[in-house]
Amino acid sequence: MTQAELAAYVHSELEKAGIDLVLSGGAAVSIYTANKYQTRDVDLVATGFTTHTQIKRAMLALGFRKVGRHYEHPDSTWLVEFPSGPPHVGGEPIGPVEVINFATGKLHLISPTDCVKDRLSAYYHWQDRQSLEQARLVAESRVVDIAEVGRWSRSEGFEEEFVKIAPLFERPRR
Amino acid sequence: MLEPLLGSKSAERILIFLFAREEGYATEIARLFRTDLYGVQKKLDGLEAGGIVVSKKVGRTRLYTFNPRYPLLPELKALLQKAITFYPEKTTEPLLMNRRRPRRRGKPL
Repeated sequence: MTQAELAAYVHSELEKAGIDLVLSGGAAVSIYTANKYQTRDVDLVATGFTTHTQIKRAMLALGFRKVGRHYEHPDSTWLVEFPSGPPHVGGEPIGPVEVINFATGKLHLISPTDCVKDRLSAYYHWQDRQSLEQARLVAESRVVDIAEVGRWSRSEGFEEEFVKIAPLFERPRR
Repeated sequence: MLEPLLGSKSAERILIFLFAREEGYATEIARLFRTDLYGVQKKLDGLEAGGIVVSKKVGRTRLYTFNPRYPLLPELKALLQKAITFYPEKTTEPLLMNRRRPRRRGKPL
């Protein structure tokens, strides 16, 4: 089972238990870039008032075991985490989510534009160059609303930084 | 003052500490408030899991700061800013009046 298939499986199974989730973080980057960036983490963020106990009950029923803050399955190398929700990028809630169907189920994930914002947030606050590169890879692979990323960057207080990195997101003219 | 809202005295102490000093580790927070270290560590863990604080290792110490990506951080800080004005001076003074400038190694006190 690939990382995306596992994410879709967990997403769909937990949805049956009344838990709505959105895939965020590095796994979303991985899906959008066709694995140009890879991570072991699968970050699923609950969109509603879901408790850790509800999630734990549902995950244990699927055969996962809780190790620290993440869940592991004996048949999988991926680590599933449930970061605190609701899903957000900086100080704003995420926009409309993408829906992708896999053989294992349906997956809701943050949009490519929100994925770029999410990575840039880490770059802006911690000067994490890996996050900037991931943002660039997503923008290279998918349609991203760069004007919206610019608006969001200004609203987060990082207008100057955005102006500096904006050329990285320019698509070559054909 | 924030304990009823946060549901925990440890959480209030940690957040006020980080607000006043911008960063801190469990031992110094527990020491300043003369409270149980385990309780502080456990609450820091919970605040980190909740995305309110983040940590990194500095030498052998785990240093905590507010998570700049926490979406309610400006509002939380505004709340802490107001709350701190209600604390007695004997609480705020040691919080705010700690030495921050460098001290050369070996320099006598």
